[in-house]
Amino acid sequence: MVQISLPENSKVKKGKYFKDKTGSKNLRKVNIYRWDPSTGENPRIDTYEVDMDNCPSKVLDILNKIKNELDPTIAYRRSCAHGVCGSCAMNMGGKNGLACTTPHSDIEGDIDIYPLPHLKVKRDLIGDLDGLYKQYQSIEPWLKSNSKSETTEIIQSKDDRKKLDGAYECIMCACCSTSCPSYWWNGDKYLGPAVLLQAYRWIVDSRDEEREARLKKVADELKLYRCHTILNCTSACPKGLNPAKAIAEIKKMLATASL
Amino acid sequence: MENKEPLSPHIQIYRWHVSSLVSISHRITGIINIIAITLICIWVSLLLFGESKYENINFFLSSYFGKFIILGLTWSFIFQILSEIRHLIMDLGYGFEIRTTKITGLVVIFGSIILTIIFYFIGKNFI
Repeated sequence: MVQISLPENSKVKKGKYFKDKTGSKNLRKVNIYRWDPSTGENPRIDTYEVDMDNCPSKVLDILNKIKNELDPTIAYRRSCAHGVCGSCAMNMGGKNGLACTTPHSDIEGDIDIYPLPHLKVKRDLIGDLDGLYKQYQSIEPWLKSNSKSETTEIIQSKDDRKKLDGAYECIMCACCSTSCPSYWWNGDKYLGPAVLLQAYRWIVDSRDEEREARLKKVADELKLYRCHTILNCTSACPKGLNPAKAIAEIKKMLATASL
Repeated sequence: MENKEPLSPHIQIYRWHVSSLVSISHRITGIINIIAITLICIWVSLLLFGESKYENINFFLSSYFGKFIILGLTWSFIFQILSEIRHLIMDLGYGFEIRTTKITGLVVIFGSIILTIIFYFIGKNFI
């Protein structure tokens, strides 16, 4: 059942206020979701005044600046800082994205930073993605080829290779899945855009021999058809991919194929 | 004592955009339409009970509130139809680019309003 409001232990309270100490004229308020597992308190929003004159252009730069200069207790995931690893996926200004590729100038007013939506929070901006990884595993994201020899390469035509464009670039940052209202309400059963895009990637791979089995596996009222083309996924994807279209393609294949 | 891990905020903080608005409105108008069709069926059945019932319903539908309801339902049906056409096109695999979804979404929103107004004027014999 859809639960619109947050459970009692997840209600967000007002937190601390970190006043600027540099005396800078160019300040921005940054509101960050905080939750400390060791205290037993509800999550809170801490507000930081950040000197923007000495801060590079991306949201991740703000977080690094806060962690280095204002409050070392803040926790978030980050690694490559170039939009390749997908670690710093979070919700900024009401939209999911990678902190390392999202310019803070794109966000109007105060900068609100939350963890990815509708996840169990481990700490501060770190959400629990175990469920999503299990679902990823369930679609068996590896090449399945039985007949061909293991010593020779499997040839793929240029046209067939082209089918993977827009699917193989996915970095599994979970921005799309956690932006999807359907995934919020049915995340335990509905696979969500990230995993379905990967399912699609293996279904259309000409080298894979389990196409039909893969299609049959996702052909499920809850696993696949909970996509109602809300398109939050496509607008959230930091790599400019289109999971909604991939899901539509799977639906189309199922509608036209006789399994 | 360790707190149970909280759920991160979702619909409370996620920003709305055109296609999510159209999607939720599609659902809401769908529910309204089902109720409306049921009421219309009841209305038709009531006609079997003779003229006095017809007069009662007529009186209600001629009132401002009644007219508001009719106009609202007209909009709701038109919205549902336009949005459904948008969904059918998407089911064929077209119109998934962010720009296109924005445009088709706006066509649904403003189209439904404009068509409702046209409907109103046709009903009033202005056109």
